[in-house]
Amino acid sequence: MSATASAADAWMRIRGLTKSFAGELALDRADLDIERGRVHGLVGANGAGKSTLIRCLAGVTSPDQGSVMIAANELQMGSPQASERAGLAFIHQELNLIPHFSALQNMLLGAPKATRFGMIDWKRSGVAARAAAERVGIRFPLDTKISELSVAQRWLVMIGKALTRDASMIAMDEPTASLSEPESEQLFAIIRDLAAQGVAILYVSHRLEEVLQLCDRITVLRDGRIVNEAERGALDKKGLVRAIIGHAIRTPDERDRLAADRSRQPVFSARSIAWKQAVKDVSLDLYKGEVLALGGLVGAGRTEFAHLVAGLARPEVGHFELDGKRLHVANPSEAVKAGIALVPEERRSQGVMLQQSVAFNINISTLKLLRSVPGLPFLSDAKSRRQAESLVAHLGIKTPGVAAKIAGLSGGNQQKALIARWLNAGTRLLILDEPSRGVDVGAREEIHDAIRALARSGVGILVISSDVEELTLLADRVLVMREGRITGELTGADITEARIIELSYQDAHDDQGEAA
Amino acid sequence: MTAETVPVAKEAPQPRKSSWKRTALIGLSRYGTIIGLLLMVLFFSINAPGIFLSRANFLNILSQASLTAIIASGLTYTLVVGEFDLSIGYVASFVGLIVTGLMAYEGFPIWLSIACALALGSGIGILNGLLVTKVRINAVISTLGIGTMLTGIGFTYSAFPIATGIPRAFTDISLGRIVFGLPNPVIIMVVVLLALWTVLNKTDIGQKMQAVGSNMEAARLSGIRVDRIKIFAFATAGFCAALTGTLLSSLLGSGTLAAADGYLLDAFAAVFLGSATLREGEFHITGTLVGVLILAVGFNGLSIFGAPTHFQPIFKGGILVLAVGMSALARRYAASA
Repeated sequence: MSATASAADAWMRIRGLTKSFAGELALDRADLDIERGRVHGLVGANGAGKSTLIRCLAGVTSPDQGSVMIAANELQMGSPQASERAGLAFIHQELNLIPHFSALQNMLLGAPKATRFGMIDWKRSGVAARAAAERVGIRFPLDTKISELSVAQRWLVMIGKALTRDASMIAMDEPTASLSEPESEQLFAIIRDLAAQGVAILYVSHRLEEVLQLCDRITVLRDGRIVNEAERGALDKKGLVRAIIGHAIRTPDERDRLAADRSRQPVFSARSIAWKQAVKDVSLDLYKGEVLALGGLVGAGRTEFAHLVAGLARPEVGHFELDGKRLHVANPSEAVKAGIALVPEERRSQGVMLQQSVAFNINISTLKLLRSVPGLPFLSDAKSRRQAESLVAHLGIKTPGVAAKIAGLSGGNQQKALIARWLNAGTRLLILDEPSRGVDVGAREEIHDAIRALARSGVGILVISSDVEELTLLADRVLVMREGRITGELTGADITEARIIELSYQDAHDDQGEAA
Repeated sequence: MTAETVPVAKEAPQPRKSSWKRTALIGLSRYGTIIGLLLMVLFFSINAPGIFLSRANFLNILSQASLTAIIASGLTYTLVVGEFDLSIGYVASFVGLIVTGLMAYEGFPIWLSIACALALGSGIGILNGLLVTKVRINAVISTLGIGTMLTGIGFTYSAFPIATGIPRAFTDISLGRIVFGLPNPVIIMVVVLLALWTVLNKTDIGQKMQAVGSNMEAARLSGIRVDRIKIFAFATAGFCAALTGTLLSSLLGSGTLAAADGYLLDAFAAVFLGSATLREGEFHITGTLVGVLILAVGFNGLSIFGAPTHFQPIFKGGILVLAVGMSALARRYAASA
């Protein structure tokens, strides 16, 4: 099929789809053709309209305007049942499976294969499910409980479930977010296979390499509009990023990397830290001005190490030093008092207070500074607003105002607010665990700039990231951890994706599932 | 917030309401309680103008409301920090008994008896807080356990109501009208509510309480001592319960076992009604006051119309279920907004 395929022939024709929330256009006259047998990539920053488009197709959101034709029939909007009958299946990142049911039970859940007496025809249903399992290449027994399956295997079950219902289009949202690299490769093979069998795939992901590698056609959304549509090969990563954020992104520039003066006293040191089986004999020095990053795989002990520094747990062996003085920290409150702050990995569950305002979230760790009269516990509304407003402006947080609820902000802006929380708090060491997870490319760049500026101003910065590209863009020095130990150090031009991955994976590629 | 996830595979399809309907629903959930209160007042004013619509009756309503308002505001604090206190009614009964006992049996002066009573209530609150935060017993279990124990201890202290030997000056506390001709309990309520409102909204500790209630992990990582904040909330609840118990004994002129147990349900109904007032499912002092007034006006109206007394529990229970339901709906709309 060529790029000029006539629109009238397309299997699914989305025309003029428009949806606004509270007066703001989330989707603005979107036209899109989807063909069976092809993998369609859908990319865009958070808030660009991907979710709205998919929710409209799934029938969980009614568009204000626009229509969707599937073959010769118009799709009834706003009805999940109609969407399912039309053969559209949707797989969300948080897989919707019942853990103590078997794979087969999950695949048949809600499947309209009942006999006329209202009973489930297990035999006939089982045949359909087994055929579907065959198509996706499920090798484990279908009576295995979901709780015993790996994340990758659960994805196969979800795809199998879609095929059991004769889905002709499957939309997948961030499927590789919790998959290892080999598992992702397996999933890609299955996706290609499904496309070859005539299924249309709508693939939503923030991981651009993946999209470029996998998709036959890529649609870019920005601010609710479709701004670019390209066939495979027509766009490279740079072009894609430019389309997503509307301008070019900076590439890692070696001149930006700072080689810290190591003859001076470190801002922060760890001496032979050990804790349970997770952290083993970790020592490091963090020097003034540098962004020090901990790389490695999920489960390498980096988050646990961060928790030890932040006072969430106490090391069994070893100690920490801040500005040359030995630290005695028993809980996070004492850590904060000493000048150590953590911007946690789980933004929603450990970071933001969702029902509170932006100002509340920013000011919560500096309440003492905001008193009307020092010594009395009463807060000054004016001081609170002023501090929040100045930090919002300083970090370029996009919000309707500091009194707006933080829940309404995009992930990137929420993350900036969490960084803002520590800017006036006398922080000496700021630990950022996965600072740009779930954040779009444009916001990521701004967050990186803020982190780097903070480091240059003298605050010790320790970044933990599983995103190898992020490490190369942000870090002045990278320490790679594996199985609780620091296994390597990279500086300057050595900080490359290849070197980091090499150090992370050493002796560690024997744990793949049998999902292939 | 809906921007970064694509929740298409959720089991329950979201309600598909056009936007004006949504706005109307949110408006109704925000102002519904206040509108309800005004409608009740209007209804009783039209149908029983002579009795309901009088200064005496309004003062009567306020007096009745004041004791509930004090104990309910204390309870509000525990709910703000994401906890629960089922012992408040028992604490009020127990302290109400002890305060009269201190005067009648031990011969303590009034001021010392009341000081001991309030300290006792706060102490029980701190004990609740320690059990919840340090021992990590679920708040429902620990406060119910402590409350039940108090009933037994009260019985051991005095199986019979303490009615003789209580100084006249003690009963005068709740019967007097020192300021503006308003009953003293009303003045005490105003002072307590103003203080609790100020602490919750205008001080460090109030902000920290709200932070703990919004996201405990985030609060801990922000350097807040979550345990201390929670213990403070429980102590406040205990203090307020003790104050209500003391005022009730003053009003009754005796210390009676289980006299204040019924305040537990009233307080919960009021606090949950309040959480659906003006904000979406958050607990706050102003809301609690509105909730208390709804109950007080309701009870007052029921008695004016001569409804049999067994109507009261029906009304009370109904309001509680309605209030919690409204609060839950308000929160759900807040989350999906």
